[in-house]
Amino acid sequence: MNEAFFDKKDYKPLDRVDGRLKVTGAAKYSAEYVLPNMSYAVLVGSTIAKGTIESIDSKAAERAPGVLAVISHLNAIKLPSYQSKGEHPSEPSTKGQPLRVFFDNKIYSNDQPIVAVVATSFEKARHAATLVKVQYNKEQHQTDLEANAEKAVLPASGKKNPKSPTADYDRGQIDAFANAPVKFEAEYVLPTEVHNPMELQSITAHWEADDKLTVYDKVQGTKMTQKNFAKEWNLPEENVKCIATFVGGAFGNGLHNWPHETAAIIAAKQVKRPVKLVLTREQMFTMVGYRPRTWQKIQMGATKDGKLVAINHQSIGQTSTYEEFTESTLQQTRMMYASPNVSTRYRILPLNLATPIWMRGPGEATGAFGLESAMDEVAHSIDMDPVDFRLLNYTESDPDKNMPWSTKYLRECYDEGKKRIGWENRKMQPGSVRDGEWLVGYGMGTGTFGANRNSATVHAELDKEGNLVMHCAITDIGPGTGTAMVQIASNTTGIPTEKIAFHLGNSEFPNAGLQGGSSTVNSVGPAVLAACNALKEQLITMAAAKGNAAFASAKPDDVMFDKAEIQLGGKSAKLTLGDLLKQNNIEKIETTNESKPDENRNKYSMNAFSMHFAKVHVHPFTGQVRVKKIVCCADAGTIVSPKTAASQMIGGATGGIGMALTEDAVMDHRFGRYVTKDLADYHVPVHADVPEIDVYFVNKPDLLADPVGSKGLGEIAIIGVAPAIANAVFNATGKRIRELPITPDKLI
Amino acid sequence: MDKNQANNRPEKEDHHESRRDFLKTSSILTAIAVAPVAVAKAAEHNLGEKISAAFETTPVNMTVNGVKKQLNVEPRSTLLDTLREQLDLTGTKKGCDYGQCGACTVHVNGQRVLSCLSLTVMHEGQEVTTIEGLAKGEELHPMQQAFIKHDGFQCGYCTPGQIMSAVACINEGHANNEADIKEFMSGNICRCGAYPNIVKAIQEVKNGGQKS
Amino acid sequence: MIQFQYERATTTKAAINGLANNSNARFIAGGTNLVDLMKRNITAPTKLVDINMVPLKDIQQQNGKTSIGALALNSAVADNKLIIEKHPLLSQALNAGASAQIRNMATVGGNMMQRTRCPYFYDTALPCNKREPGSGCGALEGLNRMHAIFGTSEQCIAVHPSDMCIALVALDASVLVAGPKGERRIPFEEFHRLPGNQPEKDNTLQNNEMIISVEIPDNAFAKNAHYFKVRDRASYAFALVSVAAALNMDGKVIKEARLAMGGVAHKPWRLKEAEKALAGKPATEETFRQAAEIAMQGAKAFKYNAFKLKLGPNVIVEALKNAAGLV
Repeated sequence: MNEAFFDKKDYKPLDRVDGRLKVTGAAKYSAEYVLPNMSYAVLVGSTIAKGTIESIDSKAAERAPGVLAVISHLNAIKLPSYQSKGEHPSEPSTKGQPLRVFFDNKIYSNDQPIVAVVATSFEKARHAATLVKVQYNKEQHQTDLEANAEKAVLPASGKKNPKSPTADYDRGQIDAFANAPVKFEAEYVLPTEVHNPMELQSITAHWEADDKLTVYDKVQGTKMTQKNFAKEWNLPEENVKCIATFVGGAFGNGLHNWPHETAAIIAAKQVKRPVKLVLTREQMFTMVGYRPRTWQKIQMGATKDGKLVAINHQSIGQTSTYEEFTESTLQQTRMMYASPNVSTRYRILPLNLATPIWMRGPGEATGAFGLESAMDEVAHSIDMDPVDFRLLNYTESDPDKNMPWSTKYLRECYDEGKKRIGWENRKMQPGSVRDGEWLVGYGMGTGTFGANRNSATVHAELDKEGNLVMHCAITDIGPGTGTAMVQIASNTTGIPTEKIAFHLGNSEFPNAGLQGGSSTVNSVGPAVLAACNALKEQLITMAAAKGNAAFASAKPDDVMFDKAEIQLGGKSAKLTLGDLLKQNNIEKIETTNESKPDENRNKYSMNAFSMHFAKVHVHPFTGQVRVKKIVCCADAGTIVSPKTAASQMIGGATGGIGMALTEDAVMDHRFGRYVTKDLADYHVPVHADVPEIDVYFVNKPDLLADPVGSKGLGEIAIIGVAPAIANAVFNATGKRIRELPITPDKLI
Repeated sequence: MDKNQANNRPEKEDHHESRRDFLKTSSILTAIAVAPVAVAKAAEHNLGEKISAAFETTPVNMTVNGVKKQLNVEPRSTLLDTLREQLDLTGTKKGCDYGQCGACTVHVNGQRVLSCLSLTVMHEGQEVTTIEGLAKGEELHPMQQAFIKHDGFQCGYCTPGQIMSAVACINEGHANNEADIKEFMSGNICRCGAYPNIVKAIQEVKNGGQKS
Repeated sequence: MIQFQYERATTTKAAINGLANNSNARFIAGGTNLVDLMKRNITAPTKLVDINMVPLKDIQQQNGKTSIGALALNSAVADNKLIIEKHPLLSQALNAGASAQIRNMATVGGNMMQRTRCPYFYDTALPCNKREPGSGCGALEGLNRMHAIFGTSEQCIAVHPSDMCIALVALDASVLVAGPKGERRIPFEEFHRLPGNQPEKDNTLQNNEMIISVEIPDNAFAKNAHYFKVRDRASYAFALVSVAAALNMDGKVIKEARLAMGGVAHKPWRLKEAEKALAGKPATEETFRQAAEIAMQGAKAFKYNAFKLKLGPNVIVEALKNAAGLV
């Protein structure tokens, strides 16, 4: 066999397969479909945080030109699912009953959608919405995390199951911290952050028949959406179609179906026209989730020479009063370092707020701010280099699960990152490096996230010209899923990428889970692989049946395509695809293949790792921080699409800059309303905030995790960035900021 | 207090809302001198909603991507909503609707502006270019090619605005160095964080000599 | 946004007439602030008079002053050779504000007329005396990190958001306005007002008056001028504190100084006492620090903006250091 031919080619950078559609404006997002008789809905939100609606005066709105309906709890259709109490039956919503929009007069949070005004144009609907007058019976609300911290509770999942990630956790001696030679203790606060994807959350709801619903919806799971709305409206799943071909960013807020989606569907039902509903930017803060404000306390004990003795980590994150939202804030504390004694206490606090939802690198990014800051603080207190401190406490197996790692190449990340950031220029003494007036600092932070994998199914067909077309319900919120899948298929088959298409974002396509939790390449990639191999097997069988003896004992790995030619290893045999199909009287072959997580998941701890290094300048008199360089090193297994993967890392680092320096959804608790609730006041990083971001991938496959060898990237791209920057700010100034974001006022 | 008036109240009193009241306001009748007389008269007589709708709109002539358009728009329609909802030019994106993100950037008479803060009626006789009008047929504009090459986007939603802004940035002479590019592109927010790649794309086009 | 009457004016006179008999009529030029406010139902004019066709875009030098038409675009002024050469402070301040696209739409007159960015003003569900007189000031006991430390009243502690105006007040500009009764000039410092008991009034422009131009007297500040803006991100954000500093130097000695602050008051905040203290002194950090202390006299902080008491003088010193070439 010709080895060179059969070695899988390295994955090469490939331009995005949907790039042309995106740069020409041809890519259609959920509010961009043209339907006959379109109408437009605008939502009115409550102006109190808790209480009941006493009355709604909608007369003026109803009389306004072009208004088709003013819908509220007073006149809305009551959905079948609204009658159920308690936990919502569907995944992956958080535990509890999602807000039943237009169900009753109860107000659970400020800016809760209470009225939908539907009109013949957006302008008319927007205006009429301002004419709706609502009277409330106001009750005392609670929205302040710190003021209510003592009311925090163990989540239901943790109560029910002591093995749950949210349950209390103790390893080793509980009093180890008290007896540690070096003791460190601090509290950290991450403010509420908002996903704020550039596309406003949008839905176009269309009842194609009384019992047939199509939604063009901005979601991270088309199947989730199909299932949820089928349940909600008591329809067979096949009667509900969700289309999300393009999703203008989401970062987690499309992992839940929200009240505005149901509002639009109700409106479409009631006005008997398609309804387009686009949230306002303010509503993006209140109606589609957020990263919950989280308080953390860490106690870290060590020996004087830097061996961790104990870590106690507790956190309180906010949630709503009707759904329990939980995330893995404390997971990495259990497994990241070789501390013999670890305790974690995870609590949530129900407040008169809307439900949060996982935001990029969800709890791990929050927890890493605490853990990785504390690591830096302890290293500093014992005068040890923070990288050395981490290496000294490196774990060669998972101390939480007591399992070997499937793979872990974090050492390589530390080594490479140090070189690339110029770590040797860092001084142990804070404030000792200057560049003109600016103080210079270096910092680092580690990230980790589970190498998640779900089952996924891909349909593939190959025609006689050698065009490979695949379908899968998975969405692409931006990382470049189609591109990655095309690369996997090309790499598996030898078919050139330009002859491969991967169609996604439609619930009518074969099943896939959510695009979330860094699981897409790990889950859908193997299904692509399986489908490609299945196609090869069909061809081998056909070839053998037609007397090509050389193919009789061939395996999928022995076969590759070169244009429309099927070649056997070493070019020992070849035949033309078209001829083979013709001999069999078929135009194309097709296959549908599912790929599922295997038993290795019970034997190994599977995680992706990242290491972020930051160099910052801090202006000592004005408190301005400028990030000068970030180096991101990732152990994410096989990198199947180097170009889009690098972009994903750059994007994560950019999100980390926002988390560290600028993002803060500030609430006035007297009213329970945000005062930074648009993109002028809630600062996401702009061009001028973002420096060179240098990305390094270890790029070693983890074939225990999945057959593609990928461990996922989206989350580790941001986890650890914020503490790296905060640690760099400390190194520059000697000031330790434990409540993000690090705005100029905190440094002067 | 236990009873709160929901106050979506503007600084002014409420205005006449019903169509009837609206049409009776004589000052408004005189203002919309551009409405055909017959329509105005029909409106005065409270004829049908369709006629009234025509009455509430104002004709505007503008050139969009090289094509002359005769439009009827409500004075309160923004250029963004007109492009997206009336002309089905959805390449121009609504990211905030308040002039805070740059996703709606288009060129008006060659200058980059925010279509979300711009009333359509104010563009009488002007030339509007959107992302759909940037390529020459099948041939992409060099900036579009450079964005693909340097992967200057992920989800793609801010991309049309970034590209329109980038083309103008070079034409304005504000792309002479990296710092300038970053500063003069800071009105275009990319939440996916493609900034460094966008800057590379702009530098490449700038160095290649952009032909607008 | 209500349906409103829309009219185009091509002359100043027609524009002013367009506002006659309708106290709820407004001019619209760039629209960058007005359209935003109308969308959010914060303001609801029943009539808009589009003044973009009125020929007021010229930037010219004559009779010892630079005259900038009210409808000159922010970007056109910032990039104008005459302005860069004679009043670089103004060019710098303009480029520190908003974004390139907004500067391509916003006019000089509109920039002066822009309203505060106070979040209580911007949320119709919250109290704000500026938006709805008598409803109370949400910021006074609220989240006032961005708010004023000078010239506040019990009624309002909002700040004026412009950068351009900070440079213009420092440069002793005046505003030429026209109304039904003819033209008049308003010293820039008197154009914007403090909130007092009428926070709904941002400025001293009378009903039916229109800004025609802004005039900057010739000066000797072009060589040593700097606009220093500190904000929550590197660009495209409103100022926490900004300072316009301009020095007329004789060797290393300051002959004359101009100093104004943004982000600290309901109007562009001119620092005349500090200017006096700088005159005749050597351009040293020590001198600047002393002037900054004088500048901050009378400042009063609220719960969340006390940092401005420290940031303010630091930014003054930094702006002066940059203006003097000490950085």
